Amino acid sequence: MPGRPSEPESALIPLPTEVDVPLYHIRHGVKPPIFRVFISWSRGNVLQVACIRPLEDHLARGEANETSDDAGLGGKVVEVKLGASDPNISEAQRRRIIYDSIPPFVLLQSRRKAFLTMSRLSSSSSHPSTDWWQQVLEYSRSISELLGSSKISSKSVIEDPMIVLEPVDKPSGLKAAWQLMEIFYVDKNYFSWLPERLVDWLAEYDAILSETQMTVHSKLVKLQEKLVNLQVIENDPEYWEGLSSVLTVGWLDVAVKLLRLHGSYQLNQLDSRETENGLVETVAVLVSTMPRLRHDLPMGKLGQCFKTKPDFIKAWEKWRGQITKLDCSAFWVQCSHRPTREGLRNLLQIMLGNFNSISTACFHWMELFISHFLYIRPLTVVAPTYLVSCPKQGLGLLEILLSKQPVQNYPMILKNLEICQLNELYGISSCVKKIAGMHQWKHGRKGSGVYWLQEARDEARLNRIAQQLFECIGRSISDETFKQWEGLIELLGSDVGTAGGVGFLHRYRDFKRSLRQVRNGRPASAARQTVESLIQLMKSSYTPQRFWLPLLHDVVELLNWKDQPLLNVSETNFLLKKLQELSMAQLCPEFSETYLPPEALTEIRLALATNLSRAFLEE
Amino acid sequence: MERELATLDKGAQCCSWNYCGQRFAVGYDDGSVAVHDSDSSFSRSSKFKVHADGIMNIVWIPPEFGDAIACICIDGTLSLWEEVGEDAHSVSWKQCKVFESSTSRVLDVQFGLPTRYLKMVAAYSDGLVKVYELLDLLELNKWQLQAEFQNVVDSVSIFGKPTCITASVAWSPRRGESQQSRFALGFNSDLSQFNSCKIWEFEEAHQRWVPAAELAFPADTDDRVHALAWAPNIGRPFEVIAVASCKGIAIWHVWLNSGTDGRLSTEKVVLLSGHDNETWQLEWDVSGMTLASTGGDGLVRLWQSNLNGVWQEQASLDCSGGQQ
Repeated sequence: MPGRPSEPESALIPLPTEVDVPLYHIRHGVKPPIFRVFISWSRGNVLQVACIRPLEDHLARGEANETSDDAGLGGKVVEVKLGASDPNISEAQRRRIIYDSIPPFVLLQSRRKAFLTMSRLSSSSSHPSTDWWQQVLEYSRSISELLGSSKISSKSVIEDPMIVLEPVDKPSGLKAAWQLMEIFYVDKNYFSWLPERLVDWLAEYDAILSETQMTVHSKLVKLQEKLVNLQVIENDPEYWEGLSSVLTVGWLDVAVKLLRLHGSYQLNQLDSRETENGLVETVAVLVSTMPRLRHDLPMGKLGQCFKTKPDFIKAWEKWRGQITKLDCSAFWVQCSHRPTREGLRNLLQIMLGNFNSISTACFHWMELFISHFLYIRPLTVVAPTYLVSCPKQGLGLLEILLSKQPVQNYPMILKNLEICQLNELYGISSCVKKIAGMHQWKHGRKGSGVYWLQEARDEARLNRIAQQLFECIGRSISDETFKQWEGLIELLGSDVGTAGGVGFLHRYRDFKRSLRQVRNGRPASAARQTVESLIQLMKSSYTPQRFWLPLLHDVVELLNWKDQPLLNVSETNFLLKKLQELSMAQLCPEFSETYLPPEALTEIRLALATNLSRAFLEE
Repeated sequence: MERELATLDKGAQCCSWNYCGQRFAVGYDDGSVAVHDSDSSFSRSSKFKVHADGIMNIVWIPPEFGDAIACICIDGTLSLWEEVGEDAHSVSWKQCKVFESSTSRVLDVQFGLPTRYLKMVAAYSDGLVKVYELLDLLELNKWQLQAEFQNVVDSVSIFGKPTCITASVAWSPRRGESQQSRFALGFNSDLSQFNSCKIWEFEEAHQRWVPAAELAFPADTDDRVHALAWAPNIGRPFEVIAVASCKGIAIWHVWLNSGTDGRLSTEKVVLLSGHDNETWQLEWDVSGMTLASTGGDGLVRLWQSNLNGVWQEQASLDCSGGQQ
């Protein structure tokens, strides 16, 4: 059945078992029937939904004969925003928060850099004076201030004896969440007294834990309304329920105040209800002297503070002993008022850590969580567990989010990479660069593509690009084609290309450059350099055979160099031998023809022969 | 709550979004594909003819290989197309590869997360699974058949050829070079042994694919699988896989550290019902915590597990168009 929980009996936290599933109607404007619905999660809590109509031949006659605007409509795609943002924060406030949060963040980043530099410098000698977490805490508090003011006032809540709950504005959910992050992740001051920090947090934010379900706060609001009109407060079960609830979550001052509203305190009742009043007051004293592992308490708040764990444990055991003693005392028999007797003993059970009493008195899982800390396991191991596991999950989520960011424009890529850099997500950073590289390469921006693939150190793809260039240039060796690719060869660098293809392209580029210098009237040294490049290229096993003839044809004019022969006898013989090899290869069926003029071979032969004869004479 | 993004032409059959949700491709009954881009407020940027028959399904290829899609046509032809251009003004879609088979139809195809090679799993109408590897990192035209097997646990017995109506493939979304290749696969066929969802793992030592787990109780192995989705994992010690069959949507936990027999430990945590037992699509959100499903009742249902690990439906979106 939709909406029905799968295994309610194994629940750790009491949650409602039957839930009404809200149903939202999507107004997409496509007339029913709908043939198919396709979905995809988009950024944030956005779901994209495509609603597609059936084909005409699948529709009933009446539905198919439409003349309206729908006639040509195949479906629509809508995006659906799920979940609501904090209604207490207006759009203008939200924008202000976003922009005002930048300066503290920039400050934090600059401090981080300085801190890292300082750590490196002082790593062997002394530790930096300030801990990094304190800087983060300062940043966290700046952001917290931006999210709204704090509700906790310096004075005790209650002046009027009948008011147990101070009317305040609804706190911000955003700030509540931020403060929880601060408690768990940042503020190391609180590590030793985390439960107390959570009690303070709950006192401030319990009101927003749930809009629809009961919380200790909403229970207290209800009780407050009743208090004014109640004559015999202790006869009302809600009084005792409210008392147990506030005690469970550690609001001791409210609990004591409520206890002292008990009818036995009235002057005209004191004589006849002396034992009853004594019991109420003893419980009130026990509540107000509860040991608390914290440095201090805000004014008006109750409990005894202990700064160290041994002192706290000692006081805790003593306090628990007093409660047990009271629980076993004979005075309960003399207390004739049943609701008081049962109500007070339930309060004692809460303070003794009775799970059933605690569980009945709170409503939200967060309340139960905090009451566990207070009464069941006051020295506990939850925080380290959170600290160890959450960063991993947080980073995991960040990795997924980053890998789903579009990389079509440069600023967006830089932004993503900066986030990767900050969080040391090198795998994702490489993935982003690869996606950007391939997108650019495939869309004609070859240089940019190679740049990003180099940034990603994607050797495999760069090798393939080098191979493609090599093949491309090999097909046509005109100067024009080469010019087209020259920039890319430069960009690829000389390290790429394990197969030697790029190595060849680089030597070929050098050869072409020096040849250009010769043609531009540069001195003989350039001519000598060109023929040296030629010899190297012809000797290299990576130079494809189809390049030999064009290479030799390029240097015909150098073979006829006016001043002196540029090649010696052995070099000329080597080239003649290569020419011979080429003639033999021409007989093979797989030989690829070059697109040179028919007289090219004769020209080369003649030039080599001339050079050889001149070289003989020289030597 | 909702905002209209695009209007689709008559004859639209399927819709699929790219990795970042900024583009989507729509397949039409005349064999054409339209691509819509968010930078032009989701208006159509291209439309091109893929095949003579209608398009049944479109799957985007991982973006490390460019902007490319795989199109499955009603006749079972699979073709790969990519967007290329010399500059921003001359962008077009070109066909890179066609996989044709005279004996069976391709029903579903999915691409693994790119590690050293891009792997593609194609599920065919005769119950066969074919795993291909891309040989060229720059071009999508050179594929090598790496393996071919049937979606059955028992590799010794000989089974007849089933007739499969649909197939669902989902790769493990775990990133990282060291991650083993894994995918889940289920069929909707007339032969029970082929139907149940199995997790296939690539054994490097023997260079073969082996079934590492079966996500079905013995009594449910013949349940026809309609859809499945493997959840992203951000710190859970186990994987979560949703499998929709005629009985509902089952959520499975799978522990990847296999036991001594090489099989993975699995646990079925819940069977969620809805969609009148006809689920069309399952889709996990990026955190792997919310599952969206669509189905024959025209609803999109959103499922989450609460703090007790109890799965509940959180909300339903009625897309039937009945309350415009």
